[in-house]
Amino acid sequence: MEVETGAICAFLGPNGAGKSTTVKMLTGLLKPTSGDALVAGHNVASEPLAVKRIIGVLPENLGLFDALTVEEHLYLSGPIYSLSRAETRSRTDQLLRALALENGRSTFIEHCSYGMRKKTALAMALLHNPRVLFLDEPFEGIDPVTSKTLRGLLTKVAARGVTVFLTSHILPIVERLATQIVMIREGRAVWNSRPDELPKSLEDVYFDLVEWPIEEDLPWLGCSPS
Amino acid sequence: MAYRGGSALAGLLSILSALGRVTYRNLRKLGSLAGNNFFLFVFLLLGQSGGFLQVVLGLLLLFPFSSDPLRSIPSERLQQWPLTPRIALALRLASVWFSPVAWITVGLIIWTKSLQFAAAFVGISALFYALSSLFTWVPARAPRLNILAHVPDFGGPIGGLVRKNARELLSILDPYAGLVLTLSATVYRFASSKPEPDAFMILSMLVALTLSTYALCLFGLDTASGFARYHLFPLRGWQILLAKDVAFLAVLLILVAPLHLLAGLAAGLMALTVGHHASVRYRVPQTHWRFTGGAPLTSGLLQAFLMFSAGTLVARTSAWVLLPCVAMFAGSLWYFGKELDRSAE
Repeated sequence: MEVETGAICAFLGPNGAGKSTTVKMLTGLLKPTSGDALVAGHNVASEPLAVKRIIGVLPENLGLFDALTVEEHLYLSGPIYSLSRAETRSRTDQLLRALALENGRSTFIEHCSYGMRKKTALAMALLHNPRVLFLDEPFEGIDPVTSKTLRGLLTKVAARGVTVFLTSHILPIVERLATQIVMIREGRAVWNSRPDELPKSLEDVYFDLVEWPIEEDLPWLGCSPS
Repeated sequence: MAYRGGSALAGLLSILSALGRVTYRNLRKLGSLAGNNFFLFVFLLLGQSGGFLQVVLGLLLLFPFSSDPLRSIPSERLQQWPLTPRIALALRLASVWFSPVAWITVGLIIWTKSLQFAAAFVGISALFYALSSLFTWVPARAPRLNILAHVPDFGGPIGGLVRKNARELLSILDPYAGLVLTLSATVYRFASSKPEPDAFMILSMLVALTLSTYALCLFGLDTASGFARYHLFPLRGWQILLAKDVAFLAVLLILVAPLHLLAGLAAGLMALTVGHHASVRYRVPQTHWRFTGGAPLTSGLLQAFLMFSAGTLVARTSAWVLLPCVAMFAGSLWYFGKELDRSAE
């Protein structure tokens, strides 16, 4: 499987299919047991630091510290990626504005809502201007305005040559945004194409190839208690 | 729809049983104090002569003892349950008996036959409960009054991580036990007409001992989310460990500065040299506003031996003794940094 530079690749599949595991292996959180994976020409197993320097990641568990505020996460992150103090501050201000986080910038993460945490982790992924973005379920748990902002942002950075690899369960968003769609089932890719090559709507192809919804009647639900 | 009759009692019993489980788990966490170097030292080595230190520890223990058991149920959940006012009152009254303070009070009454003594104990417990409530209430509602928010960025590539680690260290009770010792020693230095010079060297190492168990659990306060972030940063394992060590040494040096700085530094370096092993291999989880515990006993004993040896040597001979301490520390940092690099899931 290959993803071209500047593509927005949506990696789809049911819960437990291996999407997050794949992202973890590509970002250095999990060691591959066999096979090879290259990110921007760097082998993830033998050159983990080189890979980590050029990628931005929104991990499944967000990767945030309870003891830091929203803005302190970005102040911490900048110097680690060799950004100057001034550049870090300037980019932090812009990102917090773009993601509507300005009002909560001094709030400790343990006191933030899930949406705020997710946006903080997103800002950390973008701060150092990565060449490849790995986003694990970026649209889940955020408000519609931020979702639209994020979609616009991803389209813009992809047009500038940044490769985006994302997982999501929100098929309508994926259908509008992605330039490549990969579906997996039980750890194996069952579809890999551009969206315009899909024979039917993304949802229908997904149900056909990946998982058909179970229609289970729960007769006790909605009946008056005896 | 509220619970009625038998189902109300069943609901109450179900909540009380959950409360009992939570209290039992909390008490087990307190039991892990057996793995705290300073507690071991006070109770095993000092025996009768450690009266002052035992009082200090007893008072600090009142923080975790004084918590309200009912607070372990999220308030939103408690409000959602269909409890009648009578059942809610019964729950309030019954939950009091899940507090260790209630049992200690009963014990005190039986032992001393003095209601006044028991009442004084309850009063002090209530004061400590109010203080610990403030620790959680203030940061959430008035961030500017949160003292930990004022811990500065240490600068450089890992400066932000050092700040985070210093905040974590200051959110456990160990450094406050050290602070009580430092303040007491400082009062002794100024109040005594002829203070014993060796006392400050020993106290300096005792302060280091209060922090030493944390050196065995450097990742104990990191959540799974935070720990994952370490592996996403383009940092080597030794840099992540160094950020922990700098925070540890910064807090320790502030505490031992009025006592014997070099002896404290040597002891701190030894605590970290031994501590890297357990910190990287076991990652024993810790709880905020509690004492550190649960660390391997053998590592704690080795730590205490090396800390007292290095501290005494530096104080009695020359500051050059610090050089081998630094070398051992650097070797441990490099070796266990490599191990941390390999510890991605």
